[in-house]
Amino acid sequence: MTKTGMIDFRGVNKWFGALNVLKDITLSVEPREVVVVCGPSGSGKSTLIRCINGLETIKDGDLIVDGQRLGDPATNMTQLRTEIGFVFQSFNLYPHKTALENVTLAPIHVRKIPRAEAEQAGRELLAKVGLADKVDAYPAQLSGGQQQRVAIARCLGMRPKIMLFDEPTSALDPEMISEVLDVMVAVAEEGMTMMVVTHEMGFARKVAQRVVFMDAGAIVESGTPDEFFSHPRTDRSRAFLSKILRH
Amino acid sequence: MLENFSFRTIVEYLPLFGQGLITTVWLSALSFVGALAVGIVLCAMNLQRGWLFRAPAKAYIDAVRATPLLAQLYFLYFGLPRLGFVLPELVVGILALSLNSGAYVAEIIRAGILSIPRGQVEASVASGMTYVQRMRLVILPQAFKVTIPPLLGQAIVLVKDSALLSLISVAELTRAGQLLASDRFMPAEGFLTIAAFYLLLYYCLKGLAALSSRWLGTAGART
Repeated sequence: MTKTGMIDFRGVNKWFGALNVLKDITLSVEPREVVVVCGPSGSGKSTLIRCINGLETIKDGDLIVDGQRLGDPATNMTQLRTEIGFVFQSFNLYPHKTALENVTLAPIHVRKIPRAEAEQAGRELLAKVGLADKVDAYPAQLSGGQQQRVAIARCLGMRPKIMLFDEPTSALDPEMISEVLDVMVAVAEEGMTMMVVTHEMGFARKVAQRVVFMDAGAIVESGTPDEFFSHPRTDRSRAFLSKILRH
Repeated sequence: MLENFSFRTIVEYLPLFGQGLITTVWLSALSFVGALAVGIVLCAMNLQRGWLFRAPAKAYIDAVRATPLLAQLYFLYFGLPRLGFVLPELVVGILALSLNSGAYVAEIIRAGILSIPRGQVEASVASGMTYVQRMRLVILPQAFKVTIPPLLGQAIVLVKDSALLSLISVAELTRAGQLLASDRFMPAEGFLTIAAFYLLLYYCLKGLAALSSRWLGTAGART
């Protein structure tokens, strides 16, 4: 038995109908490691991280998260999900709840933390992401960057072991990207295990230990940010990098 | 022609119309509560993944929507006693309206729930909520808002449909009009009067709809 990481893909395959969206994925993410996943549109990178918390199910192979095998009858998926924060491209805040309520909803009802304690923690988290003055604002009253920061605080409120980010800055106006990335850097520096689907190369260079490049459902290349950005080894990664770095 | 129109007779029959109106109001209200109960159960069945619950719910909704309310009413009124269930007219009437309207309510609620973006479900799933928790905390509170206006529309339909209960001799508003028409041979007076009362009920419900949408509008602005 090999040593298992925090997130362990072993020969994972997934199909959407006839389309092989994940091809024989083997990847291990260590505790406290930050892995950036990049690749062209439709390469399967979002699907890859959506499998980790069971938003997508895998067809074959093993996916072991925090020591529990997904799809195993002994694995309590609902329980496991409380250990995994997921940040969406489109934020998906609850529109009928204030920023603070968005952060405290799951801690109160899922983690069963007393309301006063959850609200105290929620205020601290919102302050940490720079939104101390927005605790009572509804999502529609916040900018995209502010909404995404609330969404990150919402995940942190559950005190997860893993944080997954699915293109967290792709839906944002350019001037709001850095405020979200700053928060993500802070989370990474606290030692969170993270997988981040993004094309933000500055972020990758700053905090990622590893960059994984995917194309057509397969992991084509993986290495440190320096190796990957300075000396891409495959034609496909070179072509991809030339496109995203040109301007 | 108007000299033949007897306002005196209408005034004379006003107590009867008043009773009919009151009956129409409370039996419609009761039926609407019944329709909500039927609709919620049907909708819950219809949203299940397995066909075991979904198929009967779909069949029921189709059957109700495809057949005339009058036929359903007659089935319950004349058919049930032959099967051994003898119920008072009023109970049969309320039952028929609840069962009929419930099918439409189920579809309204389903549309409301399905109008909630997929991301809301995913966000609540990802935070470890159970099915019941995400329905109660995330989906239903949002669906409720979009469901209120069409539900009030359905309530207006139900009030008008309740006129059919006059055919199984429930003493509601239309029945009062029929009595005036047949006792005094004054169909114009009888049916025009009840039309006015239905219009009154319609405006009451419409006012309620406007009020609720204004209330929901402000609530919506906060989101």
